[in-house]
Parts: sequence; C-alpha cells; structure tokens
Amino acid sequence: MEKKQVTQEERKVLKSMFLRSHLVFTTFNMVKMEANAYTLTMAPAIESIYKDDPEEKREAYLRANQFFNTHAVPFSFIAGLNYAMEKQHHDNGSIDGTTINAIKTALMGPTAGMFDSLFFNCLRIIASGIAIGLCSQGNVLGTFLFILIYGVSQSVVKYLFVNWGYTFGTSFIDAVYNSGLMQALTKAAGVMGLMMIGFMTASTVNVPLNWTISIGETSVVVQDVLNSIFPGILGVGLLFLMVGAIKKGWRPTQLVLCILAFGLVGAFLGIF
Amino acid sequence: MVQSAIVVALVYWFINVLDQSFLSWQCLSRPIVVAPVVGLLLGDFHTGILMGASLEAIFMGISAIGGSIPADPLSATCISVAYSILTGADAETGIALALPIGTLMSSWNAMLTPIFASLAPYWENLCQKNIKAFTVQTLLFTTFVQPLVNTVVLFIAVAYGIEGLNAALAVLPAWVMTGLGAASSMMTAVGFAILVSMIWSNEVGIFFFVGYVLSSVTGLDSLKVAIIAAAIAITMFFGEKRHIDTKNAMANSSAATAVNDEEDFF
Repeated sequence: MEKKQVTQEERKVLKSMFLRSHLVFTTFNMVKMEANAYTLTMAPAIESIYKDDPEEKREAYLRANQFFNTHAVPFSFIAGLNYAMEKQHHDNGSIDGTTINAIKTALMGPTAGMFDSLFFNCLRIIASGIAIGLCSQGNVLGTFLFILIYGVSQSVVKYLFVNWGYTFGTSFIDAVYNSGLMQALTKAAGVMGLMMIGFMTASTVNVPLNWTISIGETSVVVQDVLNSIFPGILGVGLLFLMVGAIKKGWRPTQLVLCILAFGLVGAFLGIF
Repeated sequence: MVQSAIVVALVYWFINVLDQSFLSWQCLSRPIVVAPVVGLLLGDFHTGILMGASLEAIFMGISAIGGSIPADPLSATCISVAYSILTGADAETGIALALPIGTLMSSWNAMLTPIFASLAPYWENLCQKNIKAFTVQTLLFTTFVQPLVNTVVLFIAVAYGIEGLNAALAVLPAWVMTGLGAASSMMTAVGFAILVSMIWSNEVGIFFFVGYVLSSVTGLDSLKVAIIAAAIAITMFFGEKRHIDTKNAMANSSAATAVNDEEDFF
C-alpha cells in the first residue's frame, strides 16, 4: 500500500481532531458512554467532508453519536480511521455507513483492553514508582515526571495515532475497494462488530433482579432460575426487546424513559 | 473551616474538569499531582508533596473500572491534604475521613447517573441539527453541571460535616435509590440496541450470540474475544474473496466466449 500525501486541509482537520480527542469523557453517560466526545472529535472531519451536503452530514453525525467506549489513546486512532472512511464514503461511495459503524464497533473492544493494560496498568505504575521516590524526599520534580511519563506520552501517541489512523485507513480502504472486496469487508466487519457488541452486552448490561417468590416453605430466586436457562438471559432479552421497539419506530427518548420508569416501578414493587 | 472547604471544593472541581480535557484520564487527578497543588494553595507546599507520595502509594493499585469507584482518589486527596495542613493530622486520619465522604458522593451520583443518561437522545438530536450548539452545550454541561453535585457535596461535607447530607438522602424512600440504580445498569442496553439495529444483518447476526456466550459463559476478556472474533472475520473475508474471485473468473470466461461467438457469427 502506497503512502498517501496528506493535504493542507486534511492536516488542519487532523490537528483539530487531535486537540478535541482529549475530551474523551465529556458528558460521559451510561447510554452511549463516550459518544458525545467522539462526535466532538469527528466534527472537524465531518464539517470539512460534507460541506455542501446537509443530508449526508446529518447521517454522518448520527453515525458518530453512537455508543462508543475505549481507552483515550486508541480513541484517536479510531477517529482518524473514521475520518478516512467518511471521506471515502463521500468521495467515491466505496464504503457504506453500516460498514463504517461495524468497523468502529469492532475496534473499540480490543483496543480498550490492550491500552488499559499498557498505559493504565503498566506505564502508570512505572511513572508512579519513580514519582513516589522523588516526592517522598520532598522533591516536586516527581510530580512533573509523573505528568511527563504518564500524561504527555499519551498525548504524543494520540497525535501519532490520529494521523496514522487516517493514512492507514485511506490506503487500506482504497486497496480493498480497488480489488473489489468491499462486500467481503462489510461482512467480516459485521461479524466482528456484532461479536464485540455481544461481548459488551454480556459484560455491561445488567438487569439486577432481586426477586424471590415464596411458595409455602420453598422460595425461588427468579434471577437464578433464569440464569440457569441461559446466563444473563434478561440482559440480552432487554436488548432485543429494544431492538424490536426501534424497528417499530420507537424513539430513543421513549426507550430511556421506559427504562427509568421500569427501574422505579420495579423497585417499588420490590423486584429489584 | 468554610474557607478551606472552598479551596478543597474548587481544586476538586478544577482538577475534575482538567482531567477530562487535558493530557489523559487519571493523570492530573492522581494524588501525586493533586496533593502538591492543594498544599500550594493552602500554604504548605512541602507537606503537599510528601503527602502526594504517600497517598499515591495507597491509591496506586485502586483503579476505577466500569464507573464504580471503590474510593475516589481525587476527593480523598483533596480532603486529607487539607485536613493535615489545617489540623496537623496525618494522612491516614485524612483518608479515614475521606472514605465516608466518597461513599456519600457516589450515593448522590447514583441518583444523577440515570438522569444524565436520559439526555443521550437529546444529544443525538442536537448534534444532527446544530453542531455549534452541541459543542457549546456539551462543554458547558461537562464543565459546570456534571461535577456540580460532587463539588457541592464535598464542600458541605468538609465545611459542615456529613450528617446533613446523610439526612437528606434518608428522606428519600429506599426504593427510589434502588430503582435509579437498576435503571442506570440497564441504560446501556439502549445504546447497544441503537447500534445493533444499525449494523444488524440476518446473514451474520448470529455472531452477536457467539460474542455474548464467550463473555457470559466462559468469562473471557475483551482482547481474547476480539482475537476469536478476528479469526472468524478473517476466515469469512477470505472465503468471501474466493467466492468473488470465482464469480469474476466465470464472468470473464463467459464474456470471452461471448466475444468468440460473435466472431464465429460474422
């Protein structure tokens, strides 16, 4: 794959994306986690690509504002890659929206695990070790070294990653498209994306049922019975109930309010 | 006490905002950085540095994963450094004091989490309609609204003690707290449901359950599941590639025969 020349405008967009990618936890919420921060990071790219196409722009923002959760460093790589994908989507229609979403989703799970171990569980401990040694002697240099080793290093890697994600994404998608394999990529990305959502559903969505039915002397813990049918059946049931509701045209606001009401009513009746 | 409570609360708020927008998560909010800052502001830089070292050693192994924080290092550091400098107590006393405050903060937060989560559809609409308004509102929200409750709780707890705040929580019936907690642990399903409905196709949909089972039954972590997922995806990609290649080869040969037929005809 040949290396692509980055134009002046692209460089400007990437720089702005790099700066915005620091806002990883802006309005972090339980429904979409880092989606708003991701939207803020993608905004310069989307504005520059879809300048004259309000309908496509709206769709690109909707894609950007989906559930997103990964470590702060690969966050910028995925955003850079997404910039390349959005550009290809607009310029020659080589990649469709579903594939963009699937690739994004496929990447967030593994990168989160990898970079959490690398930075949070490894580099942070090294930086803390050095800093504690210095600070316990009353030397404030320790604090600055900690910021340098753990903080500035991440920022530098983020800068490299957003650019790398963009150039890599552009040449990768070009290569796939030119060899006529986009259909194969769509399918493969769909498999990986769905598997990762399945994984995240199991590890994140939790229906904390705490309901015991007493029949005479014996009592039945409903959650245990259901889990013995299939572990976490309630979480996956809830998810597909809502997928069905969305297919029927329910709005996300209605779903969120239903969950809120369900939680409160359930707790009032004593099933949570 | 009120004056130092103001300092502690302001540092807490400032670091909280800075941590989300500068360098990286959990860098500037670590005790090793926060303690010297609090020390400097309260006029005893040296104690701040020394306490930074001992607090960092205590909190080094404690990480906040999945939003549940066993003891919030940031508030604990703010409180214990302020107490040590103002009353001469040692770090352990400060932490002992900070723990119930941390618990209190997470109770108040537990109430707000589902309410903040309910705003997700609003953000989704706003970013599609007006990205400028979206940018301004998300930044204002994350700077002033999100850390507000923690900051106020911290201020009241340091200035007036935690009794009043506990009493205010006790007024609420227990089921409200339980219900809000249950709602926030179910909320993520909405985000996943929207995403699933966007990338679902009947052909590969079954793989959702493969990922699900790998986590819920075997308990593998994300990287291991991703390796299995990548293996399946790559196999699928090359299978599909072979299919496309064969199709192209057939199309080419039939095109060639078509040309030959024409030549024969003339």
